[in-house]
Amino acid sequence: MIQRIAAHIRKELLLLLRDRAGLALLFGMPVALVCIMAVVQDAPFRDFTENRVKVVLIDHDQGVVGRGVVHGLQKAGPFILTDATSSGLTDDDLRDLVRRGEQQVGVIIPCHVSEMLAERSSAQVTTYFDGSRVPATDTANVVLILDPAVKQAFRSLVRGAIQRILAGLTAQQLLGDLAERMTELTGDSVRVPRLEGSFIGVEQRMAARDVAGERVALDSTQHNVPAWTIFAMFFSVVLLAGNMVKERDSGCMTRLLTMPGTTTDRILGRLSAYLTVCLLQAVLLLIVGRYVLPLLGLAPLQLAGSGTIALLLIASLAIGLAATSFGVLIGSVTRTQQQSAVLGSTAVVILSAIGGIWVPLYIMPDAMQALGHLSPLNWSMEAFNAVLLRAGGWVDLFPYLLPLFAFAAVCILLSVGAELRVARR
Amino acid sequence: MEQPDIRVRSVTKRYRGAASEALRGVDIDVLPGEFFGLLGPNGAGKTTLLSIITGVLGPTTGSVEVKGVTMRANKGRALSMMGFVPQEIALYGTLTARENLDYFGRLLGLDRSTLRERGSELLERTGLSARASEPVRQWSGGMQRRLNLITALLHAPAVLVLDEPTVGIDVQSRAAIWELLEEINRTGTTVLYSSHHLEEAERLCSRVTIIDHGRVAGEIADMRSRSGQERLEETFLRITGRALRDDPA
Repeated sequence: MIQRIAAHIRKELLLLLRDRAGLALLFGMPVALVCIMAVVQDAPFRDFTENRVKVVLIDHDQGVVGRGVVHGLQKAGPFILTDATSSGLTDDDLRDLVRRGEQQVGVIIPCHVSEMLAERSSAQVTTYFDGSRVPATDTANVVLILDPAVKQAFRSLVRGAIQRILAGLTAQQLLGDLAERMTELTGDSVRVPRLEGSFIGVEQRMAARDVAGERVALDSTQHNVPAWTIFAMFFSVVLLAGNMVKERDSGCMTRLLTMPGTTTDRILGRLSAYLTVCLLQAVLLLIVGRYVLPLLGLAPLQLAGSGTIALLLIASLAIGLAATSFGVLIGSVTRTQQQSAVLGSTAVVILSAIGGIWVPLYIMPDAMQALGHLSPLNWSMEAFNAVLLRAGGWVDLFPYLLPLFAFAAVCILLSVGAELRVARR
Repeated sequence: MEQPDIRVRSVTKRYRGAASEALRGVDIDVLPGEFFGLLGPNGAGKTTLLSIITGVLGPTTGSVEVKGVTMRANKGRALSMMGFVPQEIALYGTLTARENLDYFGRLLGLDRSTLRERGSELLERTGLSARASEPVRQWSGGMQRRLNLITALLHAPAVLVLDEPTVGIDVQSRAAIWELLEEINRTGTTVLYSSHHLEEAERLCSRVTIIDHGRVAGEIADMRSRSGQERLEETFLRITGRALRDDPA
């Protein structure tokens, strides 16, 4: 039996080695995918402070609010601010600039907004000290004009930044009015305190592994390298299933059926050969993530310690087994090479899309997330994330390995059943 | 009575979902050392019968024995005594001749040295050794047919079953295959041969059975003493009729 399985393995590997297009599909395509997708997705994965939003501003106010907003946006990191107040740009011109995508956000500070702020602040202070209700003046709005192609997160970022600046200006105005009233009441000169920064800050910590003094968090490299490694492993089903169908069409299967040996021998041989290929894919893509992506200006894949490598290998083994078993199943249930190519590739693309390979699962709608949890590519992604991002050990990895092994077992059983069914027809 | 090398008893076959049986109680004995021909028009049941004899399909009822070993009970042992040459070129085109022989030989349980020795001998006998290191897909149809045949001879089987082994090849390759088949039959290998070519059957076979509509329709017991009698084609048409045999709709 061992001799027969070894013969099947050798044959499958030789067939792969002679198939240049197949080798390109197994190794070239994933390397290209990892590099391209990691570069393309680098910006969206970065923290917003690393990205710059183009903002154009017209200040009709020319008062404390206008100056405060300009100063605040210039001080905040993520904006490239163009103050177009003295350029002769009208509000309509500004709207057109944003609509054409030349600027991502337009800010219009209306006339007399500083006066309005002063009036409202003064009214508040009067109400507080005298108890008399002073009729409120009209409110004024700083107008934000947003490029429809800009992501919601960026819109929220700009809105939040301006609201923070306006809240600061309001607080400063109130403090000034309070100090003035205190001076009037006490006869002593009360100095207006200047608000500088927040009294209580926010400290951000990643619940992740510490590698060389840094916490590993999801970035383009940490997402794309495991994601496209999994995709590549599963995409090998196209080749595996296609070779199975070709074997049947050529009559080789008929010859094999007239030789000593069992269906199990053939399936085990095929699984072992493609599992080897999957492990080679994983090693190659991890090397690309570690050493090639930094050459493209990306962060290197973080792999810390021999324990991580061992866990990654175990995860790769489980993922490879699930992928190859799925390929054997596709090859067993399809009758033509066209069927196997279309079914195999479509199934893998759909399972990868819903499984969080293209974009992380957590940003999908609830229904898609629920569906995504049923995809073996999602279990695979979670297994890699458990090791690479969450500093997981065997115990953390096990919940993802179990469904992968179960999926592989079901696929193998169905494949054996399908082949025996053909033999018993 | 001499024990047949292949004994087919009351074999019927009904494919799943088929309206009628493809084989209806076929009995055949192929005796040791015979060159036995299996003839029949399209759709007669030849391929189904060969598939059952070689273990590719199981019969609905009935049994097949190879040298006294029942296929159903001990398939591995029965198959190890048999070589099968399918109608298709059952080879991996991107592998070389040597690699194809190594693969199938290892599945047949041959050790490395026996395989190398036996492979070289067969490649030499069929004039293929000079190009044994080339991928098979670069070969002519005739060369591929010869390799297709010798792949089934690697383990020196006691029984050789062939399904249309000379389809679509040139005269020279066909002659080489005939000579090889006659030679291995002379050395004691029993041959069961299925073909459309009545001329081939007339030249090679010692006994012929004609099957039609899933049944044994006739037998010519001694092909080699038929001089002066009607030609095989006339006998064939007399037994199977002149109605056209198109594929069933």
